[in-house]
Amino acid sequence: MNALSVENLCVKADNRHLIENITFSVEEGRIIAIIGPNGAGKTTLIKAILGLIPYSPGSVLLFGHSMKHANSRSGVGYVPQKLEFDRTFPLTVSELLAFTVPPIYSFPFIRRKGEKKHISELLEIVGVQELEDRSIGSLSGGELQRVMIAKAIVNDPKILFLDEPASGVDIEGQERFYDLVKRLNKEKGLTVILISHDLNVVYRFADSVLCMNRRLICTGRPAEALTDEVIKTVYGEMMGAYIHSCHEHD
Amino acid sequence: MNMITEFLTYPFIQRAFLASLMVGVLCPFVGNFVVLRRMSFFSDAISHSAFAGIAVGALLGIDLSLSSLIVAILVSILIAFLSEKTSLSHDTVIGIAFSGAIASGMLVIGKLKGYRVDIFSYLFGDILAITYTDLLFLFIISLLSIVILLFFSKPLLQITFNRDLARVEGINVRLFEYLLFFIIAVVVTVSLKIIGIILVTSLLIVPAAAAKNLASSMKHLFSLSCVFGLVSGIIGLIASVYLNTASGPTIVLVSIGIFFLTMLKRQRLT
Ligand SMILES: Nc1ncnc2c1ncn2[C@@H]1O[C@H](COP(=O)(O)OP(=O)(O)OP(=O)(O)O)[C@@H](O)[C@H]1O
Ligand SMILES: [Mg+2]
Repeated sequence: MNALSVENLCVKADNRHLIENITFSVEEGRIIAIIGPNGAGKTTLIKAILGLIPYSPGSVLLFGHSMKHANSRSGVGYVPQKLEFDRTFPLTVSELLAFTVPPIYSFPFIRRKGEKKHISELLEIVGVQELEDRSIGSLSGGELQRVMIAKAIVNDPKILFLDEPASGVDIEGQERFYDLVKRLNKEKGLTVILISHDLNVVYRFADSVLCMNRRLICTGRPAEALTDEVIKTVYGEMMGAYIHSCHEHD
Repeated sequence: MNMITEFLTYPFIQRAFLASLMVGVLCPFVGNFVVLRRMSFFSDAISHSAFAGIAVGALLGIDLSLSSLIVAILVSILIAFLSEKTSLSHDTVIGIAFSGAIASGMLVIGKLKGYRVDIFSYLFGDILAITYTDLLFLFIISLLSIVILLFFSKPLLQITFNRDLARVEGINVRLFEYLLFFIIAVVVTVSLKIIGIILVTSLLIVPAAAAKNLASSMKHLFSLSCVFGLVSGIIGLIASVYLNTASGPTIVLVSIGIFFLTMLKRQRLT
């Protein structure tokens, strides 16, 4: 079954197309990377798929269901590119994660013992268990990103949307994160939609790649789809040489 | 001290005490959401719509608490609806609702025959005129609002923190926002009789803002804001009895005093 199928998706703002006629599908259990230059509409594409911004025309099916039905959203994890929030918001890391831990509707003073344990485990997975009681506004960019990754996997999602999840995360954190994603993908058949500018990551982790610049440019296995031709049209001449060095690592 | 214990034997003082304890907890509790969502202008618009409701109630000869509640709820729904469905900014919609409410309230009051003391007690609040029925009503509303807000605290705080994440997690953002607006409208309206139309927003936001100066977690924020509200209510009421001043403004001034103390602490922290 297709975890995600997107057909003829268009997003307009002020009569300008931000993305145009994007069609692709992702099989369950696959990792697909979306690449394209800044302003290509990658974030817009993911937001439209998640129903956060309107699109027309087009259709989006997640595991065969339209996103318009709210319940099809459970099972979805999302790490946004840039989290917009008020730095003075008095909220600790564990309180933020607790928002997502079921039961969602319950009195806070009847905290299940399991909740706290679950949260510590998640933070340990992303390697920041010491941040549990820190306030969200006091975290560094990379620390926040790790916490957001933990939040995205709280409920064992079936599909994960990652918008440059590792930006600002140090090398150790990136390795840890991509290993985790790969492990969840292998063990639980998690489907991953990943936006990344790091072509190394794309080669190492993605089963397929979608290359876009407002329109779809190409899709396929990374090694096959990312020809010199494609890289040059997407990123310009400079990148041709870089891509060769990536191939040689393979 | 003797004077206070003596005063406490008067039933109307006892009622005033209970009332200030209840609004002292209720208003800041709800006010936390108002502060976190930067909605103080909304809460002001609601209290002024309640004024229009009071005027209409007086004209039609129906219960003023009821008419103010109905109008306040209608206006809050209208504001939410218009900000969602039109391209007007939230701020503009509230500003228009605000002026519309005040203007129609004043118009209607001008048509009323004679001077209506009961209307003006809503404008400035009159804690000493609280009846047992008012107290019971206030108690039920406080209990219900706090229980509902606590039960739905996760989704409500999650959408306050970041709407997009909340939506992806399957939370019906619009439904919860309407619920929150509804509760704010109810709480503002029931507090009017005690604190007054002009100052009710202050009691919602000042203790909550003071708590936000010190808190680093939600747990802290909610408990501190209620403590500050309670302390302002008690000290304010006692002071108003001693100094023979109006209780609403005295309570609000005490809470502003607390706010400045927390500012000092905050400055030292940063
Ligand atoms: N709400 C909006 N209204 C109008 N234009 C918008 C809006 N949001 C985004 N855009 C425009 O849409 C285009 C695509 O933006 P988007 O954020 O999707 O790009 P991206 O591929 O994610 O880029 P990056 O690599 O920098 O993250 C940009 O030109 C941006 O200016
Ligand atoms: Mg982007």
